[in-house]
Amino acid sequence: MQDKQAIISWKAAGIALGLLLTLATALVKPLGVSTQFVVSDAVVAHAVAEKFAEGNAYLANYGEANDWGVGYGWMLVFGMFVGGGACALVFRDKQPLADQGSLPELWVSVFGSSRLKRLTAAFAGGVLLLFGARLAGGCTSGHMISGISQLAASSFLFGVCAFGAAIITAHLLYRGRS
Amino acid sequence: MTLFIGFLIGCAFGAILFLGGATSYRRILGTLLLKDLWIIKLMATAIGVGTIGIYALDFVGLANLSVKPVYIGGVALGGLIFGIGWAVSGYCPGTCVVGSAEGKTDAMATLAGGLVGALLFALAIPLLSGALIEPLSFGAVTMPDLLGISGIWLALPFGAALLMVAFVILRERAS
Repeated sequence: MQDKQAIISWKAAGIALGLLLTLATALVKPLGVSTQFVVSDAVVAHAVAEKFAEGNAYLANYGEANDWGVGYGWMLVFGMFVGGGACALVFRDKQPLADQGSLPELWVSVFGSSRLKRLTAAFAGGVLLLFGARLAGGCTSGHMISGISQLAASSFLFGVCAFGAAIITAHLLYRGRS
Repeated sequence: MTLFIGFLIGCAFGAILFLGGATSYRRILGTLLLKDLWIIKLMATAIGVGTIGIYALDFVGLANLSVKPVYIGGVALGGLIFGIGWAVSGYCPGTCVVGSAEGKTDAMATLAGGLVGALLFALAIPLLSGALIEPLSFGAVTMPDLLGISGIWLALPFGAALLMVAFVILRERAS
């Protein structure tokens, strides 16, 4: 598994990400993603059910009827979609075959080739991801990459719990296959 | 202007995640099954460089830090729930955005699930706050605060150790 494993190496990606994080911290603030899921929910909630949105202690913090609260953080996540999508268009044929598509080989080897099953798991995983991230106050970007880089005590705790639970869950899902 | 900077930083972030293979299910699960250490090495390198970079900025007073508060129950339980979702979906909140841009339908499902999960948390917060967020809460503390030293003196050895882990210790253990 060592050879050409992605379009750029983990070294190049890791160094670039560390430098980008440093640049973001110098210009505005460190990287983060999961808050923007709440911002997006709050934008929709304010548009379709303003009373409910304003009545909810959490959603009311993000956005208002006339000002959606779409700021630096939301533009950053929007940029991820645009930048990632543009690279996918340009470099599609350079992406390893095993990394393409929505039905990964490893998944199929244990759970079969039902698309519905994969999509259901991906959706349920997404629910847990953001519920957990909002409870903890951040995700892989905000807590692990940005948080541990700031040597935040909270982020070390998050990192240990998240990796611990993920490693155990992955082994349970693929038990027997090793 | 800040919005535009955010957009550009986001573009670079998305490009790095895509090009570096972070949106790949086999990579993420390979990492969690402890068989393929690509993602671990990528993250250790990013955090190693980031720690030294951020605290070098802080040393000269140019860092805009944003340290998250500690509340033991919520951060620990949130981390555990997050970890389960991570292994089940094969994505995290950032990579599902990039995966969706690639056209991966499972990433789009995770993104949609994430919007639902964030909404469920907003609904549940009145129930959770008293038990998990308010107690054992110690504010935005960093390790250097706890040790009573200036950040750079911990950042240098910690960052160097992470780079050592990625480049030397894990080098031959790729598969």
